[in-house]
Amino acid sequence: MSATIGPARNRVDGRLKVTGAAKYSVEFEVPECAHGWTVESNIAKGRITAIDTKAAQGVPGVLAVLTHLNTPKFQAAPKKEERGGGGGIRNEERFPLNDDEVHYAGQYVALVVAKTIEQARQAGSLVRVSYAPEEPLLTMEAAEHKAQKPKTNHDEHVQIKKGDVEAALKDASLVKIEQTYITPTETHNPIEMSGTIAVWAGDKNLTLYDATQFVKGVQNIVAHAFGLELENVRIICPFVGGAFGCKGAVWMHVLLAAMGAKLAGVPVKVHVTRRNMFVGAGHRTPTRQTLSLAATRDGKLQAIQHLSETLTSTVGQFTESCGARSTGLMYESPAIRVEETVYPVNVSTPTFMRAPGECPGTYALECALDELSIALKMDPVALRLANHADNHPTKNVPFSAKHLKEAYQLGAEKFGWAKRNPEPRSMRDGDVLLGWGMATATYPAHKMSAAAKVQLRANNTATVQCATHDLGTGAYTAFTQISSEQIGLPFENITFELGKSDFPFGPVAGGSNSTGTVGTAIHAAAGLLHKALAELAVKDSKSPLYNLKTDDITMVAPGRIGLKTDSAKSDAYADILKRAGKESIEVQSEQKPPEENKKQAFQSWGAHFCEVKIDPLLPRVQVTRVVSVMNCGRVVSAKTARSQIMGGVVMGIGMALTEETSYDPGTGLPVTRNLADYHVPTNADVPEIEVAFVGEPDFAFNPIGARGMGEIGITGIAAAIANAVYHATGKRVRDLPITPDKLI
Amino acid sequence: MSEIRLTVNDKKRVVDVDEDTPLVWILRDTLALTGTKFGCGVGVCGSCTILENGKAVRSCQIPASEAKERAFVTIEGLSPDASHPCQRAWLEEDVAQCGFCQPGMILTACGLLHDQPDPSDEAIDAAMSDSVCRCGTYPRMRKAIRRAAALMREKKA
Repeated sequence: MSATIGPARNRVDGRLKVTGAAKYSVEFEVPECAHGWTVESNIAKGRITAIDTKAAQGVPGVLAVLTHLNTPKFQAAPKKEERGGGGGIRNEERFPLNDDEVHYAGQYVALVVAKTIEQARQAGSLVRVSYAPEEPLLTMEAAEHKAQKPKTNHDEHVQIKKGDVEAALKDASLVKIEQTYITPTETHNPIEMSGTIAVWAGDKNLTLYDATQFVKGVQNIVAHAFGLELENVRIICPFVGGAFGCKGAVWMHVLLAAMGAKLAGVPVKVHVTRRNMFVGAGHRTPTRQTLSLAATRDGKLQAIQHLSETLTSTVGQFTESCGARSTGLMYESPAIRVEETVYPVNVSTPTFMRAPGECPGTYALECALDELSIALKMDPVALRLANHADNHPTKNVPFSAKHLKEAYQLGAEKFGWAKRNPEPRSMRDGDVLLGWGMATATYPAHKMSAAAKVQLRANNTATVQCATHDLGTGAYTAFTQISSEQIGLPFENITFELGKSDFPFGPVAGGSNSTGTVGTAIHAAAGLLHKALAELAVKDSKSPLYNLKTDDITMVAPGRIGLKTDSAKSDAYADILKRAGKESIEVQSEQKPPEENKKQAFQSWGAHFCEVKIDPLLPRVQVTRVVSVMNCGRVVSAKTARSQIMGGVVMGIGMALTEETSYDPGTGLPVTRNLADYHVPTNADVPEIEVAFVGEPDFAFNPIGARGMGEIGITGIAAAIANAVYHATGKRVRDLPITPDKLI
Repeated sequence: MSEIRLTVNDKKRVVDVDEDTPLVWILRDTLALTGTKFGCGVGVCGSCTILENGKAVRSCQIPASEAKERAFVTIEGLSPDASHPCQRAWLEEDVAQCGFCQPGMILTACGLLHDQPDPSDEAIDAAMSDSVCRCGTYPRMRKAIRRAAALMREKKA
């Protein structure tokens, strides 16, 4: 098998996207569709004492006004143990409009359903809500007394203790660094806002067009919420306009759309406004991380301590395990301590945002290592190499197909790192300060389970289906490539379908798991297909495979099955089907719990090298060059893979330099609520980004050899930029974003 | 509600909408042309961009009362078959990821090339930097704009 699957392909859905033909959730045409408009609380904690909807109901076109006073109770939620892998994701552990309690500013307290969106919006502005506010908890300091130290996060231990960190930190012979790094609230802001169209057929059948990364999860949660049979709930989402984690959980608007449609008796569309994307679809929690490092004078780490503090809401437990996902596994050290503390506060529940844990965690650790390299007068790459871990430093099993050293080497070469003068402020481009920084990138390889259905037709075309998702990840293309290779038909002959809960099970398109998980399911389905063809052939006296054992038969060439031991004895798919009088055959792989291999640790690795230029008179940081080299196992689809890494780097530029959601300390409402105030990177902020892959397949992980790469691109890059800024200016900024005022 | 007459993709249309209704809603809801996207509603993201006389305009900022009697081109009307040089270049360079911002980006690029058939890198940045792509397709977009400019020059030659 080659390092990539076939030639680099352009996206199969490219044409739909450049002609405006690709349909996203709220764009599906549903006759007689009404509009739902939410009313949000402007207090962060308290009770609703009165809610007057008379004026709202009087607006022409209004069909219903839902509040906690008149909305039937949602029935049930899947048990926590059933969730995650298959049961659906609920970051907010409550139902909308379920009582008079307010838990965060921006909480939906009413839904207006009206014929037009303007009528709904007008009526929404007329809903009068009275509150009995209480003092909210809005900061880590205020919530100190409620601090939690969760033992695990998604089955991973997050409080880690190896060796004696305290002793090493007291050792006077060691060189030490202790610093605190701060990252703000970040909000996903995909360009497609979340949205749902709910269509009932009778009171037992529900279809949702929903912008989601997890159609099966929405199906399960909605079925439970309304007491419906699973097969009578249909979720449809063929294209997602970006997600980055915010479309994984079932947020309140989904349930409101369905309830609004039920009560109003018409289909209802709820399109979350850009304002409400800052309160109603999750965000990345702010973090405060204190790193303590101790190393010998020749750069060998003796202790790493990572104290990570984050926020969650009072109505949902979300843990961004910064330390466990970086310090817990990145470098060799005899003593490692990770402590994760989570403070529940009155804000809307955070959720996964690209590389949750790893992203802020690598920022803090990789900056601390840079500070250590300066204290040691050691090259930053050399320091990483001196502490390279072939084995997982706390699980004590070898990393599978790590190849990180190759990534450092290739990256340094392509970047020209050898020319770096380590002295800060020593490099210039004319009058402009030049800085070069680097950092390690890392992300785990998650294994989930999926099933795939294959229909092979007698004209040698095939359709493959799975309830997976394309968020811009390139799934349509990658899975067409995998299907083509595994089934043994030309790329052009394969149609890959996704985005429907009716299709065989697909897990959340999150955790960078899709390519490996669904690829494995396709591999299994292809195997079943070849077996089914073999079963037809061995019974067919006209087949060269007549009377042979099906166990001895496999795919021997594109479009042909034959004897494993003698591939010349073979038969063509099309001939087998035609002779059997079949237009097509269909197989479906089984969704099984994934095979866990505890003997190795599966993690992807990489290195970022970046250049910044800073005008000393106007200290705005411009990132001018990035080289990112990754090893994510086998690269299935070269072009879409490169795009994913580049996308992560671009998002990391935003994290490092411009992105911050600020809150009013009095009301707890975000004051940043649109794209003019929340600065995501634009064209002028982004340089040429060179991406390369080491690409060594990891067949110990799955039969495709691929580990997934949607998130690794954002890990480490903010540190590489911050480190470059220090190198350029001699100024170390330890709280993001690094805006010009922090460099004056 | 008022009767508003306008031309979209060379077709005369008559719609019955509130005078305040932003053009982006007329296009997406009334005329079911969902290629034009709604990303912010305040003219900041660029995903609602359409063309008028070759120039890029933001449809979320044009109320129905101001749209009447004018002629616009949406992404659906750029070509019958993805053959416009910007679309061709976008496909050749494999720009799109999630695709949501792309119609607006393509039309913004069309507007740029209408005014400046051979734009410098600075001109490309200036024209494109008021639009947002969260997937981060900017480097490929720049390549596609240069390619589209070259394709348009070939066509003229």
